[in-house]
Amino acid sequence: MGLLDKLVTLFGLRKQEVKVLVVGLNNSGKTTVLNHFKAEDDKSTEIVPTVGFNIEKFKNQNVGFTALDMSGQGRYRDLWEFYYKDCQGIIFVVDSSDRLRLAVVRHELDLLLQHPDVAGRALPILFLANKMDQRDALSSVKIAAGLGLDRILDKPWHICASNAVTGEGLEEGVTWFTQQVRQVGQPGNRPSRGGPLAAAK
Amino acid sequence: MMSSPRNLEYEQLWLNAHTDTRAAVYTFSSCITLADLNADGDFKLVVADLGTGSTNVKLKVYKGTSLHSETALLDVPTGVTSFYMDLNEPRMPAIAVASGSNIYIYKNMRPYFKFSLPSMDINPLEKDLWMQVRDEQIEHGVFIELLNNLRAEIGFSQMSTQSQHLLTLDSSNTSSFVQQNCKFPVKRQTVVTCMTTLKKALAEETAVSCLVVGTESSEILVLDPEAFTILEKIKLSDEDSTTLAVPAVLSACGLHAVEFRIVAACRDGSLRLARRGWTETKTLVQLPAQPVAMTISPDNASITIALMNQTLQCYSKKGKLQWMINLPAAACALCPVPLPHQSATLVAVSLNGGLLQLYNGRQLVDVIKAPQSVSGLVFGRFGQEENALIMFTVDGSLLVKILKRTAHFNLNGGGNTASVAPGAAQQIKLQIPKKTRLFLDQTMRERDNCVMMHRTFQRDLFQLRVDVARACVKALQSCNNPVSLEGAEPLKLSAQVLGLGPLFKMVISLQNISASSMIQGLGILFHFDDKMYSMDKPFINVPLLVPGLEYPFETMIRNISELALSDQVRVLVVKDGQSQPVLAAIINMPVCDLLGMV
Repeated sequence: MGLLDKLVTLFGLRKQEVKVLVVGLNNSGKTTVLNHFKAEDDKSTEIVPTVGFNIEKFKNQNVGFTALDMSGQGRYRDLWEFYYKDCQGIIFVVDSSDRLRLAVVRHELDLLLQHPDVAGRALPILFLANKMDQRDALSSVKIAAGLGLDRILDKPWHICASNAVTGEGLEEGVTWFTQQVRQVGQPGNRPSRGGPLAAAK
Repeated sequence: MMSSPRNLEYEQLWLNAHTDTRAAVYTFSSCITLADLNADGDFKLVVADLGTGSTNVKLKVYKGTSLHSETALLDVPTGVTSFYMDLNEPRMPAIAVASGSNIYIYKNMRPYFKFSLPSMDINPLEKDLWMQVRDEQIEHGVFIELLNNLRAEIGFSQMSTQSQHLLTLDSSNTSSFVQQNCKFPVKRQTVVTCMTTLKKALAEETAVSCLVVGTESSEILVLDPEAFTILEKIKLSDEDSTTLAVPAVLSACGLHAVEFRIVAACRDGSLRLARRGWTETKTLVQLPAQPVAMTISPDNASITIALMNQTLQCYSKKGKLQWMINLPAAACALCPVPLPHQSATLVAVSLNGGLLQLYNGRQLVDVIKAPQSVSGLVFGRFGQEENALIMFTVDGSLLVKILKRTAHFNLNGGGNTASVAPGAAQQIKLQIPKKTRLFLDQTMRERDNCVMMHRTFQRDLFQLRVDVARACVKALQSCNNPVSLEGAEPLKLSAQVLGLGPLFKMVISLQNISASSMIQGLGILFHFDDKMYSMDKPFINVPLLVPGLEYPFETMIRNISELALSDQVRVLVVKDGQSQPVLAAIINMPVCDLLGMV
């Protein structure tokens, strides 16, 4: 039975369901990123600042994602930590044109990494250096250095520049993310602390 | 070491978002404002760079960390503020730059309107003189002399701009100046000294605001935001004082259409208040020193003001001093730090030397160190960040700090209870019991019979004084007091009875309280009932008494009475060859312990 399960998953025949958290400061483009993955007729034309959080579903390489689009406004950032326990991956969206708040991003990232529900788990983290089309945007390398991503040793992470409006760079990031989530999500590789998939119900 | 662990703890509340040591912007708090210039939610930093003070005067706009645009200014600005002048969509604020006697309004960073302060009356004689010199009726030398006479008569500040300029020139340049300027009409204009805004009818953040301008001619003008007409003209004078005060710092709160308060801290150190409908200000208080910067609390209209005598003071809206703190160095700038999530408004004070202190009321809650003295300080929304502290130092660098989301100021004391204790003690409300019927009756009675009660009290008081005086005289006459000040023997006596009985020890101490003279030939005599007591030394010879020292003399006294009674013992200090004792004391012997007798 176990072998069959593995085989089915390996060949991508069974659909896998994962829950991911999309976080980042306000105005970094989290909702726009998720909007890009939606089906053509579901797409919203006008993106407004998210209040609390939204739940979005999309599919990539036979993996069904349930994304929690968290609000990035200062007063809602307290909500993020309540969903760390229950997720299999984190997408961290950074506004690469907002040099001023890079220190704030780093602080929020530190808080995230130090949280007991995240520390010690091999959660894959995808960093999207969004708004790469902006004139004064920082490159993804500079963002990685600015956030001190080289300190993250126990988690798989990846950073890619993106433009959520046109969708540039998003595919690359999500492809990497899907692979990582799939590896972690496989029964043998699953870290013990990650609870059962809520989406499997 | 300067940095104690406490200071480290302070530093952790702020993130260093941006440091630009080569910004080369020289400015003050009054010339900095944060505004959503393009109505896109991205707040820009608008700052008037004073440059060298005469050249390189520019209006700079920072978008995030980078310089977005620069506009040259004609003259040194005295104030920059942003305000919404109309209800048009998108809601773009205008920037007002006060400079000289004009206020330049920029919209979308383009010149939009120029408001000039109304010109003032010119002395007719002065006007006449200029007319005459234009028509070459008088010589230049005579003209200047006449102007000088006029200056002595009416004062320099009452003269026109041209005359003022002319009188400050060297004698070599005067002729050409007169030649050039006599063709122009004579003008006398005042200049803007400070500027602030006042919401017109709504308290919302993007509601239309009026400009409030303080002028060198001791007036406060409230300008209509659309038509730029003068809505209010308030004279900074008092009915009881004839002197005019020039406003140095202005703060306003309230709504123009409803009720407002404008507080002006003036150069003469007075704090003056103007309210809706007033044509003259009222002096709230005369400050002990000149003001540096001021802010009004939005909650209770209390005024927090930094003064030049290194103090931070808070006054109630009625001008009563609430508290005062001594600052470790002279204050350079001050700005309010509203923290809605902690429902508090702190006050940031920058000090000479680069220290920045944050106060919650009188309590110091945080300290920030800047590399240099901070001359321009502003807290507010910058870019997408709501809690940004922007600092311009005296050497022209720009520092931006962002308050951490997790930062919580210790607003209830805790760490520094010592400094907050007096404040807390004053806050405690007393539990006053309800007024009883008896209390009311008593109050009524007291009110009705106040004259009689006062008389009775006075009579009793005199009676008491007479009694005291009589007793005193009696004691002096009978030498029955333990301190003798008369004659050559200033002495002090104190007696002590030790023990439970029937055997007591009596200790008599004598002290010579004279400044220098010795006393000799004294003796202590005990006078007692010999049926009650027996004493081993009823007379003690006193040796020479040196001034100041206390001499103890001891004797044993036994109660020999069968009954457990006690009596008095008189102690008399006598002198050889003197029939009257020097001083005397009565000792009430204690009742002796009955158990001891058995």
